[in-house]
Amino acid sequence: MPVKLHVDNITLSFGGIKALQNVEFEINAGEIFAVIGPNGAGKTSLINSINGFYTPQQGRILFEGADISNLPPHDRAKLGISRTFQNIALYTNATVLDNLMAARHIHMKTNMLAGALFWGPAQREEIAHRRRVEEIIDFLELEPIRKSIVGTLSYGLRKRVELGRALALEPTLLLLDEPMAGMNVEEKEDMARFILDIHELQGTTIMLIEHDIGLVMDISHRIAVIDFGVKIGEGAPADISRNEAVIDAYLGEAEH
Amino acid sequence: MALAQAQKIPYREATPGAVYTSLLDKKIKPVRPEENTLSKGFLRRVAQSGDRVAQRKKRYGVWQEYTWNEVYDQVVDFAMGLLHLGMGAGDTLAIIGENDPEMYWAQIAAHALRCKTCCVFSDASAQDIQYVIHSTDATVVCAHDQEQVDKMLELKASLPQILKVIYWEERGMWSYDDEWLASFRAVQASGRALRQEQPRKFDQMALATDPDDTIILSMTSGTTSLPKFAEVTHHQLVYGHALNEEYVDSGAEDNWLSFSPMAWLAEQGFGYTTHLLNGVQVNFPEGPETVPTDMREIAPAGLLFPSRVWENLARVVQFRINDSSPLNRLMYRLFMPIAYRAIDLEDEHRAIPPPLRLLRWLGEYAIFEPLRDKLGLTRARNVLTAGAMLSSDIIRFFRAIGIELRQFYGSTETFGTVHLRGDVRFETVGVIVPGVEIKIAENQEILIRTRARFKGYYKRPEETGEALDVDGWYYTGDAGHMDEKTGHLIYLERVKDLIELSTGEKFSPQYIEGRSKFSPYVQDMMTIGGADMDFVSAIIVIDFQNVSRWAEKRGIAFTTYVDLSQREEVYDIIRGELRAINESLPAYSQVKRFVILHKEFDADEAELTRTRKLRRGALQDKYHELLEAIYGGRRQVHVSAEVKYRDGRTGVVETELRVADV
Repeated sequence: MPVKLHVDNITLSFGGIKALQNVEFEINAGEIFAVIGPNGAGKTSLINSINGFYTPQQGRILFEGADISNLPPHDRAKLGISRTFQNIALYTNATVLDNLMAARHIHMKTNMLAGALFWGPAQREEIAHRRRVEEIIDFLELEPIRKSIVGTLSYGLRKRVELGRALALEPTLLLLDEPMAGMNVEEKEDMARFILDIHELQGTTIMLIEHDIGLVMDISHRIAVIDFGVKIGEGAPADISRNEAVIDAYLGEAEH
Repeated sequence: MALAQAQKIPYREATPGAVYTSLLDKKIKPVRPEENTLSKGFLRRVAQSGDRVAQRKKRYGVWQEYTWNEVYDQVVDFAMGLLHLGMGAGDTLAIIGENDPEMYWAQIAAHALRCKTCCVFSDASAQDIQYVIHSTDATVVCAHDQEQVDKMLELKASLPQILKVIYWEERGMWSYDDEWLASFRAVQASGRALRQEQPRKFDQMALATDPDDTIILSMTSGTTSLPKFAEVTHHQLVYGHALNEEYVDSGAEDNWLSFSPMAWLAEQGFGYTTHLLNGVQVNFPEGPETVPTDMREIAPAGLLFPSRVWENLARVVQFRINDSSPLNRLMYRLFMPIAYRAIDLEDEHRAIPPPLRLLRWLGEYAIFEPLRDKLGLTRARNVLTAGAMLSSDIIRFFRAIGIELRQFYGSTETFGTVHLRGDVRFETVGVIVPGVEIKIAENQEILIRTRARFKGYYKRPEETGEALDVDGWYYTGDAGHMDEKTGHLIYLERVKDLIELSTGEKFSPQYIEGRSKFSPYVQDMMTIGGADMDFVSAIIVIDFQNVSRWAEKRGIAFTTYVDLSQREEVYDIIRGELRAINESLPAYSQVKRFVILHKEFDADEAELTRTRKLRRGALQDKYHELLEAIYGGRRQVHVSAEVKYRDGRTGVVETELRVADV
């Protein structure tokens, strides 16, 4: 399997604090890869480094073999890397539909004037993009809230809308920052089902950060564990659950 | 032929009783032989209006259209696919899921093959589905989506008779690898191959369908026993449609929104049948949650809901009005009383004075038309309610906003009565129409005879014989009587719930108590009677809020609930209410004496169920002193009732209650 993403020995520090230290791993194309670790371990910093919000002081990020370490976030999005946020970052006063359509912007070709006149190519383009967005609405079962204002929706639904927006970018690498945090069991199961369906139907490579160990073990192919900015383990779910360093750091003190 | 294998059915003896026929001077259109089955009707629709839109399904936010020709192709491919699977005349196809075009296609296909279909509620459990499959001898199952397929897989080991489970929603099905499952499209693909060999086969089969073929096995809820399956024939639906056309008035230009469960015969009769015989366009919502918005877009002409849906809708409207802008609330408060005043005058057949008419017209623009638009009722002409009787409040509410709700009385087994437009009466379930006869048996049971009737219960000859007599009357199990002057049927309640008096006559407690709901002063009422009592009496619980407001307006002083309830004046207004109720009752079931209770009925004291139904037995035991006083002819009774307080303590309330004559 070709390597989709190579995090090549990155170190990220804020002043004296080292958020990530020599972190190194590869994600294969078509894989569901999970990163777990205790609070403050540096998981979100890792995602921020991959999508370009942070620039590590050392090391490189390679996407499909090319070095993207110096690209700004919007250029990385154009390459096919999209993400969701732990604390949901949507346009809360816009509708679900508008939020998703906004994400299609990077795929739009007509200029502002044509768009304002809404005639000919601009109209056709809008319809084509709306079609894609409607497919995502159908996929994520968002029909009943299509025209609801995002700010009025429940937390679980907003998480789902955010996933929809990430999908609207048509990513080949999807970064999910705690997609199930704060959800009830039913919402978590729905989300897990969506993640599996995205992976299966669109062949999207997925990297997710998650707290819910049970779910991570169920749906991911490989797992990396970080603690205090250092990778302390990597492997298949079964190996991770046996790895003593991981058990000590994250699953609780091992009982000897 | 295997189909004609007639079972010997032990029909019951005829029952004497008064027979009523319609007072209307109308004839219904005879059934045309070329459309005497739904399958033939389908072929005619395709031939006559192939390019017109037949069905629409909202997908990707847009109403996707299927013309009759497209529907025909879908249906024929699927029918041939079923044939390929080995289905044939007399077999049963079970269908589980929410309404979709595929559901209609599967039904049209199966009916043309002379197969039966049995639709199952989408929330049925695996055990329910197993029961249905065993009772209906289904051999192929159409299961909507992953959720339904999962239920089927759970049952796989116990269902060797099922040849195939066909799903039409493919989402999430990528992970399933089982020969037992097939997608709707795959079945159609195999059918298409067969169709190329035999292009005329489908039409030939459809033309060979017989009006007496059983096409639908419709589950009827047995309150006491396990559910049975009524055999619905082409003829029942075709004749029922002829009755609908005449009295319910549905037209080919109408729109239908298909979302009531297909397991309910109403959807089959008003949706599926009207679609195939009248060409009415059927629309399928995106999903169950989007029905309100979809309904607004479609604005269907015909609607049939169970009464509790209407009750719910009325509540939602009032709730939303309270939540809306001050201007809207003002408009609502301003114009509702005007609309109520106008319909009161209409009911009294008095002229509406011009100023009131002008105000009502303004209200129409200010609030009622926008409100109907919000609800998707702008084009609603045939608005029917079925099931339990609606209270007059709800009917009046909808009439005030411009919607005439009409009661439809019927069941899976038979067509019944319906309110005609402009002739709605709160206390009745509609008039007899030509084509339907009604007999009131000596035990007050309503018997119905019409050609829009089921054939029998599937494989249950004894129960069929109990429900039908040798003359073809269907025994509804409902008690009622006819208003001979108006031709309206009055429904009382289930025959088994009637109470017999010592005179041998039976009265309906629920009906009398139901009438009391129309009074603002009565909160609860329990009628009393029994084998050792010779007349009907009642225990009344007053509506404290309304009665105390009334008392304040009249300057009647009172201290507590107990005090108010025993005021002479309060007894007078309740007496007036009871007299009004008595007017609609035959002499033997009129309420003769009553007592106003010193407290409300309370669920915490096991006087009511949690859903606020009376616990008759418990109440009769608890208030036996009252009963003795009423039937002993006393004018007063001393009660000492144990009262449970909220904090768990118990106390005793002692007081004198009046016993009054009506």
